[in-house]
Amino acid sequence: MKPLSGIRIADFTVHNAGPFCTHLLSQLGAEVIKIESAMRLDAFRKPHPVYGRMGPATFDQVASTKLSVRINLKKSEGIALAKRIVAVSDIASESFRPGVMGRLGLGYEALKAVKDDIVMLSVSSSGQSGPDSHFAGYAPLFGAWGGLGELTGYEDGPPVEIRHVMDHTVGMNAATAVMAALHRRRATGHGSHVDVAAREVAASLVGDMLLLAAAGGKPHRMGNTHPRMAPHGVYPASGEDRWLALGVDNDAEWRALANLIGQPELSDDARFATAEARRANSEALDAIVSGWTATQDANAAAERLQSAGIGAHASWTTPEIAADPHLHQRHAIVEVSEPDGKRRAAVGVPMRLSKGAEIGIDRGTPKLGEHEDFVYGDLLGMSQAERKRLEEAEVIY
Amino acid sequence: MTGEDGTPLSGLKVVVHASGVAAAYAGRMLGTMGAQVLLVEPEGGTPLRRQPPFLPDASGNESKESALFAYLAAGMESGVIDLTAPEGQARLAECLTGSDVFIDDTPVAAREKLGIDETSLSEQFPNLVHVSVLPFGAYGPKADWKGEDVVIQHAGGEGNLLPNGLAVEMFPDRAPLKIGGHFGAMQGGIAAALGALSALWARPECGGQYVDISCQDANLAVGAFAIQRLGDGSIEHRVERSFRYGGVIPCADGYLEMLTLEQRQWDGLVELLGCPEWALDPALADSLERSRRGPEINRHIREWASVRKVDDIVNAGQKLGVPLARYKTPAEILSGDQEWHRGLFQKVNIDGAGPVDVLVSPFHFDETPLSLRAGPPALDPALDTAREAASAEG
Repeated sequence: MKPLSGIRIADFTVHNAGPFCTHLLSQLGAEVIKIESAMRLDAFRKPHPVYGRMGPATFDQVASTKLSVRINLKKSEGIALAKRIVAVSDIASESFRPGVMGRLGLGYEALKAVKDDIVMLSVSSSGQSGPDSHFAGYAPLFGAWGGLGELTGYEDGPPVEIRHVMDHTVGMNAATAVMAALHRRRATGHGSHVDVAAREVAASLVGDMLLLAAAGGKPHRMGNTHPRMAPHGVYPASGEDRWLALGVDNDAEWRALANLIGQPELSDDARFATAEARRANSEALDAIVSGWTATQDANAAAERLQSAGIGAHASWTTPEIAADPHLHQRHAIVEVSEPDGKRRAAVGVPMRLSKGAEIGIDRGTPKLGEHEDFVYGDLLGMSQAERKRLEEAEVIY
Repeated sequence: MTGEDGTPLSGLKVVVHASGVAAAYAGRMLGTMGAQVLLVEPEGGTPLRRQPPFLPDASGNESKESALFAYLAAGMESGVIDLTAPEGQARLAECLTGSDVFIDDTPVAAREKLGIDETSLSEQFPNLVHVSVLPFGAYGPKADWKGEDVVIQHAGGEGNLLPNGLAVEMFPDRAPLKIGGHFGAMQGGIAAALGALSALWARPECGGQYVDISCQDANLAVGAFAIQRLGDGSIEHRVERSFRYGGVIPCADGYLEMLTLEQRQWDGLVELLGCPEWALDPALADSLERSRRGPEINRHIREWASVRKVDDIVNAGQKLGVPLARYKTPAEILSGDQEWHRGLFQKVNIDGAGPVDVLVSPFHFDETPLSLRAGPPALDPALDTAREAASAEG
């Protein structure tokens, strides 16, 4: 059995952050019922021109392994149907703007009325409360509000927009919070309303810098540099647009690097003798290190550096990641099938567990309404006639 | 085990042996949600205590108090235990007796000597959830590889894909860029917290188990869309994946972020811009055409924004449903109305720096913010208490 086997989620989430949360939980064994509608197709079922995708996606990572049912939430019977799913679920998740679920009649109290110990998850840009709670937002805005964007960038350049990794770290945070709420339910019998604010997740990832600022310090963008380590950063490797990331943590590693690059005399160079000295002379040091890395194949150099005890890795492109034996062995990269049988790489759940069934993606992206026989028929016991009537009334739509 | 006093994880006992950010952050997350967390440190303390940035003291000079450690360890207790000595290993065993979770970032090859390898712990503590947190995980050809945050981010893929937008336009030939701070390691920490709670959920059926977390895996997971697009036939690159228009917009007094994905948001933007002639071009009503003409649109937006203030644009734009945000500085976040309304910060005492606001958690449960038990621990005062508690339960 997978660890969350037996947990059922009524999933109203949209876009990326909320769906990534339930995607993680589905890979851990939860049965996730994705509630969607032809009235308002999920983003991945439509073209996404701002990202340069001119048609629907044939595979959507965060919808995989989920079950799909159609419900038109603009109809009162649709709300009633949604509640029937919630009534047989452990978790109800949503990521609309604060207030939308309440206006639909699906707020926490309403869901509690149909399932007393429901754990409701609300993921939003600024949280369910406060003067900015009505703000619309996407990943780059979360990063901007939370300081992560301001603190990312070249020291002499502008802030940087944090992309879908921002959404997904919100989702992974939300999954953790939901699990905590489930543990409380197990201990006390009480459900809860879990409120995850995406901009606060962004801020939590630079909590040390915010603390520094609170104490009167002045955190700022640092590019690829580190406040203690030097050399540290991303250095050119041989080939076009090839780069090598490395960081030297201590004097022993510095001596190892000096030997590796064929300049052992640098170990005795006073400019680089201590971490403070290396940091103070990082410009000269970076020129020396770059002189060596620029002649090296990034992957081969990373292996040699690691063998010498220095943390390093090539700056990997997506095809390199998809082909990596280490990631395959860990099932961090897996192969999935598309509806037409085509195989493609996908990303697994980021953990390995020593017990239970294999965790990860079981199925590809569901078709819209693909699992209504199971959910409406087997789970809710609805007759074919009832389902047909609701389809004709554009409730199941 | 959990939940008795209202905080979700109250009653949960966690022992953390961390020299890096990832393992410590996992402990922090569990601690802020109510778990009792003991940080096991070697003589002289965890190396995290010596990691910059350091907090300024009352006179503004740099103190020896690490802001990073203070943030990560706030609310934890500390116990100094020498795991290289048999007595130390016995003391750790006392601490683990009655504990639910052990989080450790010791390299795999060094664990057996310290008595904290997977086999020893699973034999001694069959109900313990043992979470290993390493840069490349505990299993696989790179299990013994090291990696600081910049290495993790570049091994996980997102490093190569940043920066986007304005920064890459300004500096197209520079090295790709990591996300600031400890983003890469923290993803490992979040995955570890999730792994711990998932394994605990299964404990009644299968007992304790071993959870193997790789920071590289966690970074890849949050960057999954690059792999998805690879399957769609497109290899992302930091230059090409920039938003076609919008993104980081320089204003008269700072930067804002603008992203309009929906038609109604574009319509709101046109209104915000004052319905200029170029934006009323009927061809731009089509989102695909806007995508094709993104650079032209951005030239107009940037010119318009360059003489206006961030807050003026954001306030007017949000009313029109245009997704806009100020790139906030840490000082602006610390004084933000939203953040204070939400109880995001809590004043705690930090030796050498005094009472300081520390971010607590991005989660509320039942409309209530979480709280920190205390600031970061001094070295060791909790050990005797922890041992007594463990003995009593054992």
